[in-house]
Amino acid sequence: MNYTYYPGCSAGGSSADYEKSTRAVCAALGMTLADIPDWNCCGSTPAHAVDTELSAALCSRNLDMAARQGVRKLLTPCPSCLSNLRHAAKRMENPQFRARVDELLDNPAAPEFPDVTSVMQGIAAHCGANGIAAHVRGSLSRLTLAPYYGCLMSRPPEVMDFGDPENPLLMENLLAACGANVLNFPLKTACCGASYGIPERRMTARLSARILQLATDMKADAVVAACPLCQMNLDLRQPQAAKAAGARFVMPVLYFTQAMGLAFGLSPDMLGLEKLRVSADALLRKLELPPAPQGSAEGGKPCE
Amino acid sequence: MRIGVFVCHCGSNIAGTVNCAEVAELAKSFPDVVYADDPMYTCAEPGQAAIEAAVREHGLDGVVVASCSPRMHETTFRRTVERAGLNRYMFEMANIREHVSWIGKDREANTNKAAELVEMAVAKLRRDRPLTAKTFDVVKRVLIVGGGVAGIQAALDCAEGGVPVVLVERESTIGGKMAKLDKTFPTVDCSACILGPKMVDVAQHPGITLYACSEIEEVSGYVGNFSVKIRRRATYVDWKKCTGCGMCGEKCPSKKTPDAFNEFTGATTAINIPFPQAIPKKAVINARHCRQLTKGKCGVCAKVCPSGAVDYAMRDNFVTEEVGCIIAATGYDLMDWTIYREYGGGAYPDVITALQYERLLSASGPTGGRIARPSDGREPQTVVFIQCVGSRDNSVGRPHCSGFCCMYTAKQAILTKDHLPLSHSYVFYMDIRAPGKMYDEFSRRAVEEYGAEYIRGRVSAVYPDGLGQYVVMGADTLLGEPVEIKADMVVLAVGIEAAKGASALAEKLCISYDNCGFFMESHVKLKPVETTTAGVFLAGVCQGAKDIPTSVAQGSAAAAKALGLFARDKLENDPQTAQVDIRRCVGCGKCVRCCPFGAVAETEIRGEKKAQIIETVCQGCGLCASTCPQGAVQLAHSTDNQILAEVNALCR
Amino acid sequence: MPVMKGKELRIVGFLCNWCSYGGADTAGVARAEQPTDLRIVRVPCSGRVDSLFIVKALLNGADGVLVSGCHPRDCHYSAGNFYARRRLEVLKRFLPVLGIDDARFEYTWVSASEGQRWRQVVASFTSRIHALGKAPRLGEDAQALLKAVGTAALPPPPLRTLGTGKNAPLDSLKEAIKEKLPELECVIGWRQGYDAAHTTPLFIRKTEDIDKLVWGPLNVANPAVYLPRFKGGKTGIVVKGCDARSVVELLQENLIAREDVTIFAMPCEGTLDMARVNEKLGRYAVVDGVVRDEAGVVITVDGKEHRFDMAEYAQNKCRGCVNPAAVLADVAVGGAPEIPADAPVPLELGLLDAMSLEERRAFWSSRMKRCLRCYACRNACPMCVCRDHCVSDTRDPHWMTQEADVAQKLFFQTIHALHLAGRCTGCGECQRACPVGIPILALRQQTARAVEELFSGYRPGLDPAAVPPLLGYETEEQNIHEREWK
Repeated sequence: MNYTYYPGCSAGGSSADYEKSTRAVCAALGMTLADIPDWNCCGSTPAHAVDTELSAALCSRNLDMAARQGVRKLLTPCPSCLSNLRHAAKRMENPQFRARVDELLDNPAAPEFPDVTSVMQGIAAHCGANGIAAHVRGSLSRLTLAPYYGCLMSRPPEVMDFGDPENPLLMENLLAACGANVLNFPLKTACCGASYGIPERRMTARLSARILQLATDMKADAVVAACPLCQMNLDLRQPQAAKAAGARFVMPVLYFTQAMGLAFGLSPDMLGLEKLRVSADALLRKLELPPAPQGSAEGGKPCE
Repeated sequence: MRIGVFVCHCGSNIAGTVNCAEVAELAKSFPDVVYADDPMYTCAEPGQAAIEAAVREHGLDGVVVASCSPRMHETTFRRTVERAGLNRYMFEMANIREHVSWIGKDREANTNKAAELVEMAVAKLRRDRPLTAKTFDVVKRVLIVGGGVAGIQAALDCAEGGVPVVLVERESTIGGKMAKLDKTFPTVDCSACILGPKMVDVAQHPGITLYACSEIEEVSGYVGNFSVKIRRRATYVDWKKCTGCGMCGEKCPSKKTPDAFNEFTGATTAINIPFPQAIPKKAVINARHCRQLTKGKCGVCAKVCPSGAVDYAMRDNFVTEEVGCIIAATGYDLMDWTIYREYGGGAYPDVITALQYERLLSASGPTGGRIARPSDGREPQTVVFIQCVGSRDNSVGRPHCSGFCCMYTAKQAILTKDHLPLSHSYVFYMDIRAPGKMYDEFSRRAVEEYGAEYIRGRVSAVYPDGLGQYVVMGADTLLGEPVEIKADMVVLAVGIEAAKGASALAEKLCISYDNCGFFMESHVKLKPVETTTAGVFLAGVCQGAKDIPTSVAQGSAAAAKALGLFARDKLENDPQTAQVDIRRCVGCGKCVRCCPFGAVAETEIRGEKKAQIIETVCQGCGLCASTCPQGAVQLAHSTDNQILAEVNALCR
Repeated sequence: MPVMKGKELRIVGFLCNWCSYGGADTAGVARAEQPTDLRIVRVPCSGRVDSLFIVKALLNGADGVLVSGCHPRDCHYSAGNFYARRRLEVLKRFLPVLGIDDARFEYTWVSASEGQRWRQVVASFTSRIHALGKAPRLGEDAQALLKAVGTAALPPPPLRTLGTGKNAPLDSLKEAIKEKLPELECVIGWRQGYDAAHTTPLFIRKTEDIDKLVWGPLNVANPAVYLPRFKGGKTGIVVKGCDARSVVELLQENLIAREDVTIFAMPCEGTLDMARVNEKLGRYAVVDGVVRDEAGVVITVDGKEHRFDMAEYAQNKCRGCVNPAAVLADVAVGGAPEIPADAPVPLELGLLDAMSLEERRAFWSSRMKRCLRCYACRNACPMCVCRDHCVSDTRDPHWMTQEADVAQKLFFQTIHALHLAGRCTGCGECQRACPVGIPILALRQQTARAVEELFSGYRPGLDPAAVPPLLGYETEEQNIHEREWK
């Protein structure tokens, strides 16, 4: 089945591994992703906080192009992109708002936009838990995973339509279908502090540390994330978090697509596992798989 | 007809924005008005005397008073005209204070409006007919629904006052919520020790008939003559034979039956007596967990019972009691706090309700009074109390304060320190509400003597830390800082709502109830025990949050109302009832079908079906009158012609 | 007292004594300033408020009417407001067909504690009425307005092929009646009237009467109208599909007993619109003979043949009929007819639907002027069971005056329509009986439509065991929602 796909800016940079694993897993499940041609930034930059119309104009251009291709369903991996696209679509239902946005665009936006959902929802809708289980080549039954959605994916509930905003369960279902032991992770929708990563580094470190500490205490083998910014924050800044908490973390932070890819028997390099700052080699060993091609520079070294 | 109109100044309350003299002058031009005056205070003694004098002097046969709301003084003036020799229903009021002078400042518009309201009242009065009340006998017995402390108090007071009492309790024992408490604030005396003797008094009083394990099935009738059908649920034990020895419970093999009396903090047997001081002290089988009743084999209790009381074939049965009034004392239940997902929604074993904590504190509870975590039985070192869980929270539709949680939380913090001297308690609160006698002093002791740490703020989340403790995240709004506490146990002061089934009972009693199911009193300040249905009184928390002393006081107050009602041998009905013009009635039965009180009967007159109003049952709503297409049913004092006269006075 | 010119409009409020009147008192005690237009009539319960008080006020110069009761479930009389809610909602949907803006009438719930809410309700309703301005009086509208309105719509094609009942098994029907007659006091049917082109009711009491029974498109009258008069005796009745619904409704209302009535039914193929037939035949026509084939009737008058095709001359109600066979019958003769799917909007109602409120007022003003107050409409109605006790004929209660103005006449039609709400089966006898041809059926059709929309598609006269919607209630109404006050 064909889907239109909006990768988002981080796909080409900090979350190249998310991008790679998303495409690999979707291909394995028979989902063909076609990018929106000439897509542009969704406005997750300060735009959405500074000027809702400008931010909506950015999104509307993407949605407009998707609509003109006759697409009904649009997938995006990044919760921030998802949030912006869905907010824009909702705001554009107001005719006055739409008129103001149309002034910013070359042409008036298409009257109806496609329905935007996350890749996670897209996969679940495409084949369901049973369909996923059918693709599993190597069960993740030896892994204990802490699902972590981040704060954006399920909020605000009336826009995101992602189930219980405090307790979403979709990722649990997907990972369980892959055979993993999935923790009931209480901080699954807590803030990791990434948005304040630059101005308030100490606060960010404290918030990240809380999540990593809980995952460690709950004996998770890895945290499984769904957001490029959360993943980068929890993975790349793990040393800072460890320092803030006076603790020692060795907690790989995977994308859910990477975890699924492993279960599907896709090779670690197809999944970009080598990009992880905290090496996933220990996981691979548990799964009796060879280590990722060339572990990242400091891979496997405990962060303090 | 000769009508007199009195336009009251009410000091400056009315005269301030209404030209009362002009209204009186205008009134003289209305049909049949022969006299009009504008007294200063019509309701005062000289004002009433003036009405009486005018009736006599001018031969009036009807009076209109334009003053305050009829809800205030209609009865007063009806008595006045009666003293003057008129029928009390030859009187109408125009509300020119609450509906005119107090809500507008435009003197011209107000004067005009007041005159119009007087014109409407005159138009209605011209069609008034004298009405006479009927008297009827009173059954001098009282039914009390609910055997908590309020119901117990009401029952004892009524019985002592010489009125036979029927006390209906849903559970297998009376005692209500108070029986579950360990200690009571602010004296920290033992709940069982002060309630127990009263419960025994109920059992032993010859004037009290107690139906436990029973519920109200149907209520019919009216003040003085209620007929109440009571469902006596099958207990599978013949209580006439049961001696309460407890042998059955000892031998029952079904030992994992959820223990409702202990708020599900422990397990019990399928046949049991909920607690040693239970009244009646009789065994009851929990049919859902009894092996004999679910699987058809066991029968142990029947074998061991020395008096042969066990009867597996028992079925629900019904009794009907005739009573003159009903006291509702159904109490409360905790709201379903599991909607608070942020506190785990019930998934964390050591996050419990305060009532459960009370059972853990109690010597008769599942732990014998040892505070132990339900998850692993360890004694907690750090206990966090969270107040207002489901109280004062509009986001879950619970705007009301549950009243007594501040106090029992302080009590529980004190008892925790008593039981576990090394423990530390935190209390998250919104405000401390301690207005009762010795209450504020008591809550201060929790802080000052027992070292409970009070944090003003809400808790945003509770989650297990993976190492056996719970992280409580909240805000200290006095410091303006987030707080995180590692706790061994979290106790929630869960908000109260009316007892399960209260609304269904309210509908049977024809009384109203609010959003949370609490019954509505007749007047918030002046009639807190009465309801708008005559002969139905309220006691205890069923009417709104109350602590034990207030519940007891209201129990006595309700009893006083019942005894007052029964001081008379005959009661009078309100003659503003429906009346049938049998010549116009075609017997279609539409009125019979929709009367909410069953006050319209079908009768046969000369072989033709006709409607007949049972006047003592009719409450005077007039639904039948607006339903009857022929206009054959008319509501006395609000007939079609009277309302039409008012409409016609306004629209022509 | 006159309304204060330029300052106030005439707004009438009906408030229940226990909640809303108390709420208005609470607002007063709180000195909550309010507009002065409203005049409050205190009633014991919102259930006491007959919809007709409201129409009476609106037809006689009120600019707005407000009803307020206890909140649902809080009724002092436990259920009065539940009944009120249904009846007032039907009224709200009925008013526009008279040409009255339904925004001029509102009902709401205010408790005795809600002084602030009461103030808001009064302020909001008063400003709404001021925005609408003074209500136009009936008959004030220019006649010119009416000229623009096309009142002669062409009847739509029938939903199914109509016929003349030429091949209906009348003999089997007669046989069946013969068999049952000994147990019955009387069987009601049709016989030839003063000429072969008209029928008149037949009361079969003896076997020889049976042969007088006729069947066909000339059987326009609804025999159910006579049924209640035989109450208590054993009666038979021959019915068309539409007549059967009236019988069912009479059963539902206990106006006849099921065991006392024997229903003989034959599927109906349609009946003729006699008003148009008579018009074509001309006055004082002497009918020589009537011949029918499958598709129509040929009537010979003074040697001249007039053909009336069913497709063109059937009654409007027959064109949209979805109950050609009786819904309830003891003896059913004849096969099963084709049953069309859903009924379209009736022609008369469609005509009103197409008009603006002003046009509707002008329409009723001009039409009702011709009303003679003969009450033939009432007498022909099988559901008008008050008979000699109709409220229009008495001073106690004094709903109607003797004045012959349009408002009085239209008010009577409103009484009839609202008394029929949830009961009218749409048989159309009222309109057929009208000697001056006023399309009064439209008013009944509007109540029927409101009832159908509000109460999950309820249509009267289909189920003898059903509770008529206005004699029942649900604590949570599916299709009645509280309106917000802002």
